[in-house]
Amino acid sequence: MAQIIVIDDSSTVRNEVCDFLKANGLTVTSAVDGRDGLDKIRADSALKLAVCDVNMPNMDGLTMAEKVRNDLKNASLHIIMLTTENSPAMKERGKAAGIKGWIVKPFNGSAVISSIKKLVG
Amino acid sequence: MNTQASLVSKVLVLEESGEHLIALKAFCESAGLIGIRPQNGDDASVLSILDSNVDLGGILLSEYFGTGIQLARQIHNSRPELPIFLRRENCGDLSDIPDCDRMIFRCVYTLSDLQPLQTTLEHSLFYRVYPSQLVRGISELTRSALESTFRGCRIEQEPPYLVKDRIIYGELFTLISIDSNWCRGYMMLQTSEADIKTLITHRDGHEEGVGFRDINNLLGEATNMVWGAFKNRFATRMHHENSLMRIQVPIIINHGRNYISFGSDDPQLCFKYTLWDENNPEIGSVTIHQRFVFNLAWSPEEFDDDRTVDALVSSGELELF
Repeated sequence: MAQIIVIDDSSTVRNEVCDFLKANGLTVTSAVDGRDGLDKIRADSALKLAVCDVNMPNMDGLTMAEKVRNDLKNASLHIIMLTTENSPAMKERGKAAGIKGWIVKPFNGSAVISSIKKLVG
Repeated sequence: MNTQASLVSKVLVLEESGEHLIALKAFCESAGLIGIRPQNGDDASVLSILDSNVDLGGILLSEYFGTGIQLARQIHNSRPELPIFLRRENCGDLSDIPDCDRMIFRCVYTLSDLQPLQTTLEHSLFYRVYPSQLVRGISELTRSALESTFRGCRIEQEPPYLVKDRIIYGELFTLISIDSNWCRGYMMLQTSEADIKTLITHRDGHEEGVGFRDINNLLGEATNMVWGAFKNRFATRMHHENSLMRIQVPIIINHGRNYISFGSDDPQLCFKYTLWDENNPEIGSVTIHQRFVFNLAWSPEEFDDDRTVDALVSSGELELF
């Protein structure tokens, strides 16, 4: 069972982040947008962490996070946003949805891997 | 207080005499123009240049170059967006030119009086004020985005310039809207698929090559990162106008002619970056043209460079809530 789901509409980012996490001993799956991510989170209760983009087609990452908490009633999944967005308003919305953290792209894996491992346990 | 960026623009100089060229060269240097000359003086060569990616701001045409007025007609038919500035030998007006041809020319000037040319350039090409912080900031954030997307590449950059051209460079381009309280429009990145393919194939050692969708995604991600950085730095204050009520205009693309129009005659702010694989410079380079088209709104007096938001968290690091 995967520990982490990487949700990004860019295959470049998905592959980069997934490859990095796998190389660090984590089990990873991925989704192509918020709607796909929500479906996969609903189907896999063992997931511990979602690394999620904000701006995606079909469903954005913040809406997905809100649905994880409100519709799926899943409070245990840690959600980290990995995005080009850096606006305080968006972060506030993320905090309200119970998001655990925020990374501004580009992804610097070595700077965040220890935090990610702690969240995954 | 924002200072105005110093920008240049390329012009096609169609002059038959070396003496006149010398006089115009000095003028071009003082006016921020980069003069480009065709290798051959025939009309076909000139029209062929216009079909290539020269990124022109206009054309300085002598009435005695090639077929003169007839060439001007052909240029105007082919590329009406390019202003033609006509140099005449003695007369500083168009009184002896047929009425139907007069509208082709943006202005008429003589070498003894370059003021009409100077004035018209200011009104048709250099009339928008681009804050220095904006132009410098775009370069900085774009280079940073390209460095992280195309790892291991050296990036060279030409001075930013203005173009009236609407020709698309390469086969692959991305388009994303820019929206803030002081500007609205689009950003484009244009490049050659084959050049990126060669670069990535060599860099990552893909023996089977790289698929076009991978290349699309790579340029898409570079676009996303530039857009995000632009937004975080220059577009932190949004206007409160109802988004459903905001003005939009059709974007017209003609694939056969590699042509794109945003419905505005305003010059586009352009940047050109060249990427080299530092370990394999012999495999060639990738050229990326970046164009900003502020066709929907432009109020530079409201421009704001908000670096404080950027400085809160370093890119790539996790900010825990």
